[in-house]
Amino acid sequence: MSKPAKSQWDFGELFSPAETRKVLSVWELTADVKRLLEKQIGSVWVSGEITNLRAQSSGHVYFTLKDVAAQLSCVLFRGTAAAQKNLLADGQKVLLQGDVTVYEARGQYQLIVRAVELQGVGALQIQFEKLKQKLAAEGLFAPARKRPLPRYPQRIGLVTSPTGAAIRDVLHVIQRRHPGLEIILAPCRVQGDGAAKEIAKAVELLNGFSVASENPARGDDSTIQPFNDSTKLDLILLTRGGGSLEDLWAFNEEVVARAIFESALPVVSAVGHEIDFTIADFVADVRAATPSAAAEIITEGVFASREFVANAPALLQRAARRGLDSAAENFSQLGARLARLHPRRQLNDSFQRLDDLQTALLRGLKTAARSRGLVFENLAGRFLRAKPALAVKARRETLHQLEKRLNALGPEQVLARGYSITTDVATGKVLRDATKVAAGQQLKTRLAQGQIFSRTEA
Amino acid sequence: MSKPAKAGDAAKGSVPFETALNKLEGIVEAMEADDLPLETLLARYEEGARLVKICQEKLAEAEVKIQQLEKTAAGELKLKPFETEVEA
Repeated sequence: MSKPAKSQWDFGELFSPAETRKVLSVWELTADVKRLLEKQIGSVWVSGEITNLRAQSSGHVYFTLKDVAAQLSCVLFRGTAAAQKNLLADGQKVLLQGDVTVYEARGQYQLIVRAVELQGVGALQIQFEKLKQKLAAEGLFAPARKRPLPRYPQRIGLVTSPTGAAIRDVLHVIQRRHPGLEIILAPCRVQGDGAAKEIAKAVELLNGFSVASENPARGDDSTIQPFNDSTKLDLILLTRGGGSLEDLWAFNEEVVARAIFESALPVVSAVGHEIDFTIADFVADVRAATPSAAAEIITEGVFASREFVANAPALLQRAARRGLDSAAENFSQLGARLARLHPRRQLNDSFQRLDDLQTALLRGLKTAARSRGLVFENLAGRFLRAKPALAVKARRETLHQLEKRLNALGPEQVLARGYSITTDVATGKVLRDATKVAAGQQLKTRLAQGQIFSRTEA
Repeated sequence: MSKPAKAGDAAKGSVPFETALNKLEGIVEAMEADDLPLETLLARYEEGARLVKICQEKLAEAEVKIQQLEKTAAGELKLKPFETEVEA
């Protein structure tokens, strides 16, 4: 059997294998590998999880980057920014940028790390904090710029996914508490790449909306009283249901924060659950814990007014009744006072007084007359008793009596019996003692018949 | 959809709910607090009753009106009905 034919260019057999082999030193080979790696791969981004992290006293940091199938030795030299070093931790998912090279001494290829970026939750948290600080510094969260929500909204803008859980919750609450509310939905994706831009666009779109700018789709309802006068939206509700930090991430992006900040309409933000706070929540005028809570806040005024409006008729009636009652009472009091003040009443009073006076007068007259009468009778009696004839007769009788008594006492009887009475003519005195008579004294002697004038002798 | 308001009410002018409600609150307060002259009181009562009616009409609306805002290719805003099953 002949050997199989060989190519005419096969010179293998011309030289012994020992003559043709090229022997490299370890160093040469390693240097070749190194050159190849650095040339072919060079600077790369690579992602994985840190393990076996060792910080040497030299200041260099060594670790292994791994994923499910492979491992990569990494080194972060002392000269690299400390900030990068601080991001490194065992178990941390990172995105590394560096140069692939070979560490000849160990014949090990490795990544010389130039930059570290966190990945997964850690990365988002760092980003969140950074943006939060930046926007806070710019004043996007300032309490002073928070606007109050209209208490009785007529028309609101809704920024959310048309298919999410949030819109169902929101509509459910609004249907129950404020079914007259008009909702203008600006549909958008609420998670994933590009969602943030759609959200921002929706906010901007709703800000441009006004009733005048659209065809009056409200049609025959336009005669119904609106809740307020605005032709624009009263506010914008930005919402989505719960999810992981990554799910909610769109609401932590700067473009959304800027759109809320620029919004001329008040913005309510309700993203995720109670525990989830997003950048959107911080910038919004009002943050609600959940989509349902946001709907409750928005409908609060109208919802509360329901009870008041339901009670209002009773309140009005009670107040009116009270007013009427007090007016009726006033009226009857006034009537009584008026009756007292009426001229007829005064006239009646006057008549009565007149009557009283008349009675009193008559009584007075009678009394007066009676007492006068008594006096008169008395006087009359006395007058009658004082008849002159009687008086004359009585006097005459008295006179007669006196005459008789006088006669009895008088000297005539004695004189008649022969006695006489001598008196001093000068003095008129009766002489009773002869010794007291002086010579020449003129005497008068009265006799029973006549008298004798005489003169005494010495 | 609720029926259009009666012509008689519409003739009184379009009073927004908020205005009507604020007025109503003011009237009830004034009627409760002050000693109003009877004529004023009755006028307020009538006005209050009218406002109650306005508010009740508005609150009686039974369905949330939801429309979807779209931007046309021409860049104009346009509304289209939004279909959703909201269990009331």
